[in-house]
Amino acid sequence: MAGERRLRILDLLGIGGTSGSETKRLCEVCAEATGTTGAGIMLMAGDVPRGSVCTTDDVSDLIEQLQYDLGEGPCVDAYQDDRPVLEPDLARPRTPRWPAFSGPAVEAGARAVFGFPLQVGAARLGALNLYCERPGELTDDQHADALVMADVAAQAVLVLQAGAPAGRLAGELEAGSDFHYVVHQAAGMVAAQLETSVGQALVRLRAYAFGNDRKLAEVAADVVSRKLRFDADSGEKDPRP
Amino acid sequence: MPREAMLARTFVDLADTLVADFDVVELLTLLTDRCVEVLDVGAAGLMLVAPEGGLRVMASSSEAMRVLELFELQAQEGPCLDAFRTGLPVVAQDLSTASGRWPRFAAEALGAGFQSVQALPMRLRGAVIGALNLFHVDRGEMRQADIDAAQALADVATIAVLQHRAALEAQVLNEQLNHALNSRIVIEQAKGMVAERRELDMEEAFTALRSYSRNHSLRLADVARGVIDGTVAVPELDSAPPA
Repeated sequence: MAGERRLRILDLLGIGGTSGSETKRLCEVCAEATGTTGAGIMLMAGDVPRGSVCTTDDVSDLIEQLQYDLGEGPCVDAYQDDRPVLEPDLARPRTPRWPAFSGPAVEAGARAVFGFPLQVGAARLGALNLYCERPGELTDDQHADALVMADVAAQAVLVLQAGAPAGRLAGELEAGSDFHYVVHQAAGMVAAQLETSVGQALVRLRAYAFGNDRKLAEVAADVVSRKLRFDADSGEKDPRP
Repeated sequence: MPREAMLARTFVDLADTLVADFDVVELLTLLTDRCVEVLDVGAAGLMLVAPEGGLRVMASSSEAMRVLELFELQAQEGPCLDAFRTGLPVVAQDLSTASGRWPRFAAEALGAGFQSVQALPMRLRGAVIGALNLFHVDRGEMRQADIDAAQALADVATIAVLQHRAALEAQVLNEQLNHALNSRIVIEQAKGMVAERRELDMEEAFTALRSYSRNHSLRLADVARGVIDGTVAVPELDSAPPA
């Protein structure tokens, strides 16, 4: 019964975690309650990822990074289609999807990935990302737990934000989060270098990272530390000798 | 349509309003209208507590009913107010003997042609959010089956109203969250733009943006937006302190 599932999850949340961050604990409970290897909470807006509130481990962190960099993956689909997205065998999917996302995710150890929309009423926040290190379907029980967990997580995010000063992100949401600020700093720099909009600069940064098989965050860090410049005439330049 | 079928139909219709295009007044008007159609009552009215406290007339099955409910609020006495305050049903089987209880309201209700009244709380667990008033043109006891049916309808409507409020609250919070994130992102982008144009590091770029916003009494996020869309020229930003 949904009420009992909720109680069990709230009970898990109440047990003092080892981590200091409330959202980190929330992510850990998402994985524990659903019996999956790891979990992450991704915020989205306007059909694109904004960043992670929290992730349980390096693999779930990478799953979220890849989706932010590439704009494809289970969370992106779950949010856009407004329904759970289940891929029980990412290495051998029944219907191939996410061509750029799947390879690196499998290589990192995610053999099954699941995205569940995060919403409260009509308010859509993003998606809960779950992964397993072994391929396999979620059992009916796990699926039901994930639905309740997504509901609890969405409410928890909003409850945390409710305490924030006007116009500011709640400190509890900021702690342990990754909203890719360096990427936006780099976009501002590249926009100035190319005399273009920041939106266009973000597209160029993403294209460069994808074309050079690098993480967007690393490319952005190179721009900010002035190891990499974008040039309107001749493409990208490495100013190092 | 037999009474039981009408009642079942009403529950379905009330539940149906929970989906998209939810409108509280429409839901509550449906409730008061059906009370008159399905149950043996002459008129029905409904009040809800406003966010700032105090009851407001939300729905009435007739204009005469609406006037009477407004009078009840103005006089600050009557069955709806009592049901709301106590969270319990309030009944007056003969309004002509109720002048001790509600001197002004009883007279007004009798003048409007009503002889008896039953008020039911709109309650979910501890929270009372309003009350439903059922008026009769005759004296006497209301059938228990009708009271139970009316309370059940009021309970469904209460849940709908509370769910709607929670959903609205969530929407406002989500908008605030998005707004806060947007502001933060645009500040980071402006930092990058200023850092590049003025050959500063991110810290110095932030200081330049912040001093400009302070000196011009503008919000930091607005200055950042201005830098991004070109309405604040980067050379106009006050010099950053020497590194």
